[in-house]
Amino acid sequence: MPKMKRRSFLKASAVTAAAASVPLKMSFADYKEAAEEEEGYKIPTTCNGCSSMCGVYVHVKNDRVWRVEGHPVHLKSRGRICARGHGMAADMYNKGRVQGPMKRNANDEFEPISWEQAYKEIGEKLTETIDEHGGNSFLWLEHGVRGQRYANPLLDKIGSSNYVTHYSTCFSSKTNAWAEMVGTTLNGDHENAKYMIFEGRNFAGAIIPHGMNQITKAKENGAKIVVIDPKHSEIAKIADDWIPIKPGTDLAFRLALAHVLITEEKYDKDFVNGYVENFAEFWRENKDKSPEWAEEITGIPAEKIREVAHDLAANAPEAFIEPGWHGLHCHYVNSTQTAQMGIVVNALLGNFYKRGGLMPSADPEFGTFEHDGWSEEEKGPRADGAGVAGEHYTVEASRGIAQTVPDMIEKGRIKAAFIYHFNPLRTAPDPEYQKKIKNADLVVSINIDWNETSVYTADYILPESYYLERTEVPQAVSGHISHDYPQISLRQQVTEPLHDTKPLREIMQGITTEMGMGELYDYSLDDEIEAMLEPTGLSAEELKEKGTVELQTNKVEASFPLCPSGNPNLATSTGKIEFSADKFRADGKAGIPTWIEPKVMPDPSADDEFRLIHGKQPYHSHHVTSNNPDLIKLTKKYNGTAMWMNTKKAQKLGINDGDIVTVSSDMTEKEIDVKVTELIHPDCVWISSAYGGFSDRLETAYNLGVNYNDFIPVMVEPYSGTTMSQEVIVKVAKGGVS
Amino acid sequence: MAQYGLLIDATKCTGCHACSIACSQYNELEEEVDYNRLEFVERGSFPNCAMDIVPVQCMHCDDAPCVNVCSTMATFQQEDGIVGFDPQKCTGCKACMAACPYDARALNEARLAEKCRWCPEMLQQGKQPVCSSTCMNEVRLFGDLEDPDSEINQKMAKHEVEQLRPDMGTKPRIWYIKK
Ligand code: SF4
Ligand code: SF4
Ligand code: SF4
Repeated sequence: MPKMKRRSFLKASAVTAAAASVPLKMSFADYKEAAEEEEGYKIPTTCNGCSSMCGVYVHVKNDRVWRVEGHPVHLKSRGRICARGHGMAADMYNKGRVQGPMKRNANDEFEPISWEQAYKEIGEKLTETIDEHGGNSFLWLEHGVRGQRYANPLLDKIGSSNYVTHYSTCFSSKTNAWAEMVGTTLNGDHENAKYMIFEGRNFAGAIIPHGMNQITKAKENGAKIVVIDPKHSEIAKIADDWIPIKPGTDLAFRLALAHVLITEEKYDKDFVNGYVENFAEFWRENKDKSPEWAEEITGIPAEKIREVAHDLAANAPEAFIEPGWHGLHCHYVNSTQTAQMGIVVNALLGNFYKRGGLMPSADPEFGTFEHDGWSEEEKGPRADGAGVAGEHYTVEASRGIAQTVPDMIEKGRIKAAFIYHFNPLRTAPDPEYQKKIKNADLVVSINIDWNETSVYTADYILPESYYLERTEVPQAVSGHISHDYPQISLRQQVTEPLHDTKPLREIMQGITTEMGMGELYDYSLDDEIEAMLEPTGLSAEELKEKGTVELQTNKVEASFPLCPSGNPNLATSTGKIEFSADKFRADGKAGIPTWIEPKVMPDPSADDEFRLIHGKQPYHSHHVTSNNPDLIKLTKKYNGTAMWMNTKKAQKLGINDGDIVTVSSDMTEKEIDVKVTELIHPDCVWISSAYGGFSDRLETAYNLGVNYNDFIPVMVEPYSGTTMSQEVIVKVAKGGVS
Repeated sequence: MAQYGLLIDATKCTGCHACSIACSQYNELEEEVDYNRLEFVERGSFPNCAMDIVPVQCMHCDDAPCVNVCSTMATFQQEDGIVGFDPQKCTGCKACMAACPYDARALNEARLAEKCRWCPEMLQQGKQPVCSSTCMNEVRLFGDLEDPDSEINQKMAKHEVEQLRPDMGTKPRIWYIKK
């Protein structure tokens, strides 16, 4: 137990002068008075602080959202929510919200426009564009995947294949590998595991509250946690072992783990014989990837690699490399192979469909909502080239390539774009390049606030109602953590909309009605909810009252999927886990994962060169929470914008803790203050992914810290189309930008 | 009469700050006011190094310097042990702030020296204070020290525990599980 440093906190907070105050807040006395005046109420709904969409109860007093607590049933929260979940509720009152539909005028300024007029103008313009350039010139770009059900009717009707998600900036390397090799994705069964590796994966930063609860419970029950990450992340805080790997070399580490398991015959032979295809080919390709070979590359001693492999094997099948999401899976040129090796090592442990290993999600069976009135047009090739022969054939077409939209526009493939709940100008590489999205004939931004994408590229901003102001269709509660029974949750309106905003379905109905396609969205949300719930036996009333309901059907079983004949029945060509990805081979690429060098490496002789890496802080969801005064209060108090640098490297450069430095890449140079720490690998510097806001209409986020996307050019990882966002070398010099 | 206390397992804390923000919202705290906070301490040198995180807040001291110096009884110890605060009686003299060894009090806009009250409205409903109930890692276990069967007593019995700055003689009601 360290001694508490008296005053250390107050000193730090003295720097944090005024940030905008949240109207949510009343003084204590005011509150007491208000509470006496009126009884409040609480409504179950789901959080929107990140894509986990935890079940929550929102308490309202005097018609104002007061506070949030976790829903006791919802498997992601189980009564406990994270800082973002609390903080983002208050964003309903944020001054940065777009308060009604907006149109960019001839002076390049936004002016209010009525919904009717906006629908009319957008409808006309879109009809013109489709008439002239065809339906395939329309792009729907979103975070994913919530808007898809309202994008699809229009995309199908006009014949556009261009539905693109943010996933290429986040984790497509993982989903691509799993789709090709396993045909599904599985989750770590943290609660029952005995040995868990979190590699480049900060589960305590990208939080699922109940997932963390399961992990800490497992640890109390004796499970071992090993974190492999160049940065001592929040999950490393509770790890038994933190192994700081040279960034970009995780693939080599995983190849060496497989090498130890195979050469020492510590892998699960029965499992491999029964359920794995291409094992022999894999081994032929990778016989030389020994721990000694990997030590050279990763900086991790060969003995340590052996130790980890032995521990994995000793605890198998209640042991795994966490499948993860963002971490490692859009970061490097070898990210797809790294994800493939995650599958290989886990399969060698025989942990698929095993308690304490990897388990499937329990999914409810929803009814589909059918409505008549729209025919499907033939669709053209995807503008981003995802899945297109001769272009990015091996990239998943269902996810697309989000970072190359300006290129699609420049090539004349895209003329009109709708951007829903996504801010590529801040969360995709090279914002100056992303600004060219504006060159499309029509850009409609359907976002909550005055984000960078709206401000710099939109012709129209059609503000969606805040998540506490709208009801959506029921959701399956699943993904990333393990649970036996399916759950269904409902996001529902907690208060009346504060501003002139609308839910997405209504916006789409308004526009398409003007296009003479009013039938596309001619149904009510209640129709949808009823149709979806039909097979579940759950009534809309019950779901609305309870918020989250656990079904007692469709229990997941710890057994490998088999056909009636007894053969393995995964959705791959052989029904087995395939160590070689067919699709990659068909494209003339390597199907079997083997070593690929990172694209760039810092020059070991240059003390001022570093790889720039980034990650999540537990109180931010990348940039989306960065204008929230409650969360930024934490940023300021705890110096969350600082760039982490290893102490020895800092000493060599004469840099002290708190110094201002200039960080430069081929793209830009920026000033930032430094946190000098032992807790990071000397080859890299780290920043949080939350900052660097440049929309001056978002006061709290504006000009606060820097963002990694400023330093990287637009790149496309050859297998999965991701941004390779850590393939960048920066130079760091003491002092500000001269 | 229940006697309240809090057992903190700081080894499990991952620094998510949910406790402090849940508290701020529940108590409608102003921008500059916080009832609880985290202290971060690095130890060791690369690559053999680690981070400690210690949640700190009002310790609800049994021998509370803040109670002793408060001339108006605005700060007082309740029968259940909780050190309460009555803003109506506070004159804003700041004596309690100076006396508190844990920096647990904060001046609000009205210049009153607020502090954690252990969420009496939640206790009345038989619930934990909001910082405890939201903590995903179950770092904070609040409970009745009088009841031998309470979870807090049972857990306390299983571990070695310590208090922050016992040398100050304040007899805090918060214990920390030793590493
Ligand atoms: S993890 Fe946090 S931000 Fe994400 S949905 Fe849950 S409470 Fe909200
Ligand atoms: S921690 Fe400080 S404010 Fe709390 S009871 Fe003790 S002396 Fe008073
Ligand atoms: S909520 Fe729990 S884990 Fe999060 S900072 Fe507070 S004590 Fe630590």
